[in-house]
Amino acid sequence: MVENIFVGFAEWLRSLLAAAGLPALFGDIVLMIVKVAGILAFIAISVLWIVYMERKMAAYFQARIGPNRVGPRGLLQTAADMGKLISKEIIIPRAADKIVFLLMPVLIFVPSLLLFAVVPFGKNMIAVDLNVGVFYFFAVASVSTIIFWAGGWASANKYALIGAMRAVAQMISYEVPMVLAILGVIMIVGSMKMSDIINAQQNVWFIFTQPVAFIIYVIAATAETNRTPFDLLEGESEIIAGPFIEYGGMGFAMWFLAEYANLILVSVLATTLFLGGWLAPFGLTFIPSWVWFLLKIYFMIWVFMWFRWTYPRIRVDQLMNFGWKVLVPLSLANIFVTGIGMFIYRAIGW
Amino acid sequence: MFGQGLLKGLQITLQELFTKKVTVQYPEESLPLAPRFHGEFVLDVEQCIACSLCANACPNKVIEIETAKLDKKRVLTGYMMRLQYCLFCGLCVEACNKGAIRFSQKFEMAKYFRDQIPLILYKGEPPVQEEQGNTGITAGEAEGTEV
Repeated sequence: MVENIFVGFAEWLRSLLAAAGLPALFGDIVLMIVKVAGILAFIAISVLWIVYMERKMAAYFQARIGPNRVGPRGLLQTAADMGKLISKEIIIPRAADKIVFLLMPVLIFVPSLLLFAVVPFGKNMIAVDLNVGVFYFFAVASVSTIIFWAGGWASANKYALIGAMRAVAQMISYEVPMVLAILGVIMIVGSMKMSDIINAQQNVWFIFTQPVAFIIYVIAATAETNRTPFDLLEGESEIIAGPFIEYGGMGFAMWFLAEYANLILVSVLATTLFLGGWLAPFGLTFIPSWVWFLLKIYFMIWVFMWFRWTYPRIRVDQLMNFGWKVLVPLSLANIFVTGIGMFIYRAIGW
Repeated sequence: MFGQGLLKGLQITLQELFTKKVTVQYPEESLPLAPRFHGEFVLDVEQCIACSLCANACPNKVIEIETAKLDKKRVLTGYMMRLQYCLFCGLCVEACNKGAIRFSQKFEMAKYFRDQIPLILYKGEPPVQEEQGNTGITAGEAEGTEV
């Protein structure tokens, strides 16, 4: 019953609207609005929780306690921070391109929100199950690069510009190995549909059949979300905050929100492609699929936090060398080996 | 092997995750202070003989002592320290023969207003006398000497 709580709610809503004598199209529209509202609520609550979790984890990895003053065990710390950021004045630098400057913090959240449309939260719990799901994911995710760039450019600040340049260089470079790594999984499944990819992992998760792809994906995802050790575009000690330097108050909060929404998204993709999505391991199906999915994405988020509080930042040249000279050849080799493996399996008739 | 250092780093941080936290939750608990910690001053009024040695020892004229004559004896009527000028060097504590002025372990001396900073350690009425009036002298100002 708990398994179908969300799907059941959607069915109930649809039947209720149909019983009221409204056309099916209207029901679909209402349902879509409810889905969007649900996803927005999920993002907002998750980000509040993840920022708190990040601060707590940072503290624990450094043998500290972390925030513990606002609310029980510091749980309201992020809410208090958000309240502070919202109430702050929005300062626009005199030299800034006003329209672009104010528009970019709003737009940065759009790709993140669009991507949540293809997130398979549980069995039959995917807002839009596109047949090009993974492709859509990467296509829309790449858009955020130009928003980073525009935000940095509009700030009319040299640090913001350097940060934005780094953001473009880094995000484009690491998209290549990321996509190539995932190609191995797509080759095995033969489909880019999220639900097909998850169903193909009934017997064995792709982390076991594609371990190299998983490692490349995790490294590239860390770079894509601009987290340590690849947080060059923020680089506190060099360029202060990169593209966000001139943003304060709600503008900064939006960048921050998008950053953590992207962290959720790369964890979602890692879970879907490599950790079996909402499939329960060891036949533990009495736990609902969406609980499994949340557990897995939170494990991945925790892994990214673990990386962040372990590794120091690398240099720009190291970043580029590693991306183009290590990850790209490695992911190409992975595709080659996967292809040969598939050919052999097919030849011996498995 | 390449990558071993990375794994080692992850292992170390994972261990830290489960170790006992070193944070001391300050307002509720605090670390033990050294026995000779230079904290806020306390004055043992019973011991003080109003000799003004402490005021003379002070390099910054922090201490202001008010005294009165009782028969032939000087008694203390006021002891004030302008802590905004105090170095907490401890020369006054060293100078005291009677061990009347001492350091305590208290270090939370922040105040909201400037006029709250001077530390009044004793403020007493001048003792009542039969014939003579109060000849209160202010040690710090009357002497005007530096150490």
